[in-house]
Amino acid sequence: MSGYDDDHAPQPWGPHDWHHGAPHNSFSPLFLSMGVAIFLFSLAQAWSYGTYTPGHIPTILLGLAVVGFSMIIWWRQDISFDGHYEPISTGVPFRGIQVRKVAVWVFLMSEMMVFTSLFSTYMRYRLGIENCGTVFERGLFDPVTNPTGWQEGVAVTCFEPASHLIASSWWHLAPGAINTFALILSSFTIVQALRYAKMPDLDDEVRRKKVYRYLGSTWILAILFLTLKMVEWFIGFYVPEISAIGLHEHDIVSLVSEGYTINADHYQHHSYVDEATGAHMVANIQVSASLFYVTTGTHGAHVAGGIIGLSYMTLKAWKGLYTPANAVSIEYFGLYWHFVDLVWVLVFPFFYLY
Amino acid sequence: MKRKTLITRSMVALILISVAMVVSPAVNSLPTGVGGTGIQTSGCNCHAAAPTATIDVTLDGLPDQYNSSETYTITVSFEGGPIESGVNSGGFNLWASGGEFTVIDATVQSRATAEVTHTEVGNDYRTWTMEWIAPSHGRNVDFILHVNSVNGDGSNSGDSWNRLDLSVVGSLGVGLDPADPFTVLATLIIISSVLLLITILYGFYRTNPEAFDWEHLAPWITEWLTSTDHKKIGTLYFIQGLFFLGIGGILAMMIRLQLAGPEMGFISQDQYNQFFTLHGTTMIFLAAMPLINGFANWIVPLQIGAPDLALPRINALSFWLQPFAALLIFTGVFSGQGADTGWTGYAPYVVSAGAHSGVTMWVAGQIMLVASSTLTGINFLTTMAVMRAEGMGWMQMPLFTWSILVANLMLFLSIPAFGIGLLQVYLDRTISTAFYDIAAGGDPLLWSHLFWYFGHPEVYVVIVPAFGVISEVLATSARRSIFGYRSMVYAMAGIGIVAFIVYGHHMFTSGMSPSLRFVTMLTTMLVAVPTGIKIFNWLKTMHGGSLVYRTHTLWALGFLVTFTLGGISGMFFPSIAMDTHLHETYFVVAHFHYVLVGGTVFGFFAAIYYWYPKMTGRMLDERLGTLHFLTAFVTYNGIFWPMHRLGVVGMPRRTHTYFITTDDFTNLPEWAADWNLFISVCAFLFFFSNFIMVFNMLISLARGQKAPADPWGGWSFEWMTSSPPPTPSFDWNNLPVLKDANEHIAHEPSVMGIWFNKLMVPEDNEEVNN
Amino acid sequence: MGLITPLFDDLWNEYVVWSALVGIFTFGWLYHHSYWYRSEEGESPNIDNLQVGVFPKEYDNLKLEITWIVAPFILIVYLTFISWAPLDNIWSAANAESGYFGDECADGETSNLIFNEDSGMYEADCYNVIEITGYQWYWEFDCLNLEEDICAVSTTQIEGSDRPLLSLKDDTAYFATMTSNDVTHAPWFVSFGIKEDVQPGMITSQWILADDVENFLLLCTEYCGDDHAYMIAGVSVHA
Repeated sequence: MSGYDDDHAPQPWGPHDWHHGAPHNSFSPLFLSMGVAIFLFSLAQAWSYGTYTPGHIPTILLGLAVVGFSMIIWWRQDISFDGHYEPISTGVPFRGIQVRKVAVWVFLMSEMMVFTSLFSTYMRYRLGIENCGTVFERGLFDPVTNPTGWQEGVAVTCFEPASHLIASSWWHLAPGAINTFALILSSFTIVQALRYAKMPDLDDEVRRKKVYRYLGSTWILAILFLTLKMVEWFIGFYVPEISAIGLHEHDIVSLVSEGYTINADHYQHHSYVDEATGAHMVANIQVSASLFYVTTGTHGAHVAGGIIGLSYMTLKAWKGLYTPANAVSIEYFGLYWHFVDLVWVLVFPFFYLY
Repeated sequence: MKRKTLITRSMVALILISVAMVVSPAVNSLPTGVGGTGIQTSGCNCHAAAPTATIDVTLDGLPDQYNSSETYTITVSFEGGPIESGVNSGGFNLWASGGEFTVIDATVQSRATAEVTHTEVGNDYRTWTMEWIAPSHGRNVDFILHVNSVNGDGSNSGDSWNRLDLSVVGSLGVGLDPADPFTVLATLIIISSVLLLITILYGFYRTNPEAFDWEHLAPWITEWLTSTDHKKIGTLYFIQGLFFLGIGGILAMMIRLQLAGPEMGFISQDQYNQFFTLHGTTMIFLAAMPLINGFANWIVPLQIGAPDLALPRINALSFWLQPFAALLIFTGVFSGQGADTGWTGYAPYVVSAGAHSGVTMWVAGQIMLVASSTLTGINFLTTMAVMRAEGMGWMQMPLFTWSILVANLMLFLSIPAFGIGLLQVYLDRTISTAFYDIAAGGDPLLWSHLFWYFGHPEVYVVIVPAFGVISEVLATSARRSIFGYRSMVYAMAGIGIVAFIVYGHHMFTSGMSPSLRFVTMLTTMLVAVPTGIKIFNWLKTMHGGSLVYRTHTLWALGFLVTFTLGGISGMFFPSIAMDTHLHETYFVVAHFHYVLVGGTVFGFFAAIYYWYPKMTGRMLDERLGTLHFLTAFVTYNGIFWPMHRLGVVGMPRRTHTYFITTDDFTNLPEWAADWNLFISVCAFLFFFSNFIMVFNMLISLARGQKAPADPWGGWSFEWMTSSPPPTPSFDWNNLPVLKDANEHIAHEPSVMGIWFNKLMVPEDNEEVNN
Repeated sequence: MGLITPLFDDLWNEYVVWSALVGIFTFGWLYHHSYWYRSEEGESPNIDNLQVGVFPKEYDNLKLEITWIVAPFILIVYLTFISWAPLDNIWSAANAESGYFGDECADGETSNLIFNEDSGMYEADCYNVIEITGYQWYWEFDCLNLEEDICAVSTTQIEGSDRPLLSLKDDTAYFATMTSNDVTHAPWFVSFGIKEDVQPGMITSQWILADDVENFLLLCTEYCGDDHAYMIAGVSVHA
């Protein structure tokens, strides 16, 4: 395949003719950088030490819009990719493997370091700060008999794992459990999408339907994941009484409504009430809440990134543009998606169950 | 009180210090006159805690606007207070920020050139007269007058005092204060940017004078803004790197001006703190790493015989994240709210409200840089793993490519830890999470761990490519193969791995457990072994060779000197009983500047002189290059060599000033001030000497001799291409094949290789299984 | 009058000697080869037959390479070895069994800090405990219940402002338990060559071994904000 033809004008806004190799001009990187800078800048303007200054939402949205615009340029250049130019490695031990596949694996190595750092932080604080349950069990303070106890109204700094709230009942655990299954199922559907895209001797229309349905299912499952996460964090849900199937009424309150927030320096929980005197233990749980939201939030951000990629891929599949020649692109995403799933499989027990 | 004129104040301060050291730093008690630097800030608090407003203080005789060097007769007087007149009933201290007082009678004495007070005789008076000679500089002068109205009983009770501030406009006119350093910085940056723009436009004009119109300019600019070609991106990195090298240098000049003498008032503490923070961040992230990336982008694909990198658009993204990140990092500086945490940004200061609002932007910019570096790492590792030319196994890669491989491996595995730390700080400062909130149980050492887990591999990331450059340059200059290619590779790989376990040596005095400290001491010491191997291998390479002296050769030899010195000084730190003394002193500053400037920067100066002909098609002027080397090398050592001694005798780093031994307390010896001045002078000379290179680069671009494909006689693939190489660098259908002068057994993939391949490639992959 | 303390000076001198030797060796070799193997005017012989596109002939010598792996390694192990004891000394355990400074001094007991020339270590019969707290931007010393003669805190004028002054007794070992009220600081007892960070929310400690009669400045050596440079105190060691 030739390099750059003389009569080939660069198309920095897209679309791109892949018969000439990879795009050698693109406005996407410039706008993506600009958008990220605007976004981070506006976010820092809007919030300062927990104080929200209104009026910066338009600029935050502008940043996101510019990022979106840059992705559109990127995809405009990619959508015509039909497998014609897919460089294959020549170096040992990767000989014969697509270059981009190797790149995705290398990328995942760095992503591993991201989550390792978050888990490091978690380990440090989980092991270093005393568990609120342990503090509570020491009992009420008494200068003579129990000098290490807690006092009513005096906030004690301790580690309150989210599992104390989430793992307290099956209904509380439901969103997280459903999410786990949703992600695992989505890893399955993405593999199915790849399988059908690669399958030789398949009718084009059948292939198109199978691929876009499986990609679409992955997309729906990912959306479900984020939705349930928002329900769990902010919204809560209500289960009505249906005596016919023995279903009792439950009002599952969201984490935030329970007071499990990053600003919670006077956190109370019904289980931290001294039976004898009715005294409430008040706790400063900011560190544990910060850890929970930021770790699961970082994972959620990776799912959101996957959703953006999936949106593009589902659209491309719906147009019937996936064929055995370029099916490997689905595999690249699939690798990333499996990684996201794997991280969740680690995050879920450590942050939701333990 | 009006803001003081900073430069005049520094002159006066120096005079005052000399006088004050002779007289006494303390506030002298009356009736023999009052004075001392404390009085301007604390007032006459010997008499009473606060001034009494009923004391009516008058200072007559000063004009609204003075004429230069003119003499004015002025009178100090007051009314009010416990008694109307009598023995010991009054005292005063009059201080001016400029000009000179002349005593005309026995009631007044001079404490300093611009400070007067009463005498024992004058203590009985309530009005005093003296002369003031206006300064010649013509700038505004501020006066501070303190007046005591005392009841003369010899005790402090029943006394009162008051203060009067007055400003006299200078002969130059109203409102002419010396420029605020931030304004200077902003102006310098704007001027540099405009000059850069003009140079770029001029360059464009010169490529085709006929076609200097928008129709031709637009596609040219678009090409530069959107190109994914590794050569163009490499050039963009260069321009950014050199630009910020200059900005970082300007910041360094500000620092050195402030430190030229003890207790200079050139810039305020706050400004100084912001400048040294930005100096570090700029030099490491916006200058050193882009320069390295510039060469990596240009040379690595050429050396491995690849037409471009594995992921060209992502490569462009890696670059474009940098200028926008730089904008964020520098935000806040011009409003005086720039980051002032030091480039290491220790918690909890970094999340405290005391650190300026610019810290959040500084953190955000660095998050973008983390993304940029991660993507660069992925790109280069993939490229070097998969796109090597035929015949080029791992152990046939040129050493520069190997160095970029090791550097990127270290970089992209360590930088996410920094990114997470930054995210935590960013969130702490915006939505108020509690990662580093001490009251909530946050741990400041967590930041230290996350930061230095990245920070130590980072400094190896910037030096290892310089190692690669020196290997290339020395071998080619000596017209020999590099000595011990295999051990060079293993040494670099060894450094790359050990880098991750020694970061604790930055935290020896942070309260670590003793056993961890010992392990870190041992491993840090051991890093010297692979580094030593490399140095000895370079020296042996020259043995039996024929060393052709070009500018790049000079820089490579200079590197050997300065990097060895830096490495040796680094060996003092792991010995913890010495580290407890040397940590956070100028000894550290000397060490890391020897390895960073004497190592990385000198290595990349060598690279510039070595690869410039390849990249531009023009030869650089050798005489200017030699002049650059001589001036820069000598002045550089003048800056950083004395810092070793200064650190040992007690000069800490990141301090706005330093203290010379007085009669009461020992600290720095007298010569410390002289040597600091010497360092500052050398710093200026070094800064300007580098413009010789920039000048050389620019005129050579226009008028340099045309460069052949292989001006120096190197062997790697880049010397095969034309100067400059075409785009794409190699034709996909006609990639080069590396021959080998050594006889090797035909390369069969190892068992591991075969197994790995089976794992990664599905059986039904037709493309592969053909 | 040595550089800092005998402990530091011994190590420093040894390291400087070895550094000088390594430096002379390396630079001697460098200068010799730079001169001896320079090319003659116009000559540029292709000694190893370097050609573009050909990986050069291997040029190595296993014996030499092993030598300069092993020799530096031995030197480094030696330097680590001689650093071990001083490390153990300055981070001595605060008890008589495993430490060098005995237990905490009882009332009336003298510390008797000496520098043992033979072992090259400081030793004392007992030590006194003091507390140091770092604030933005000043130091606070607390002598606890120690006698005036052993430890005293007062104010003095340094560089035109009032600063805290810590008065210690010569030939006495002190154990400072330290913390910070806000951000990280680090008190550097310059003449003793010792510093340790003070961290908020944590207690750190260091040995202060007063072995010389002198007055010196205590400087802050962990950047802590605006007035970091001026966060100084006086230390006065009297006989």
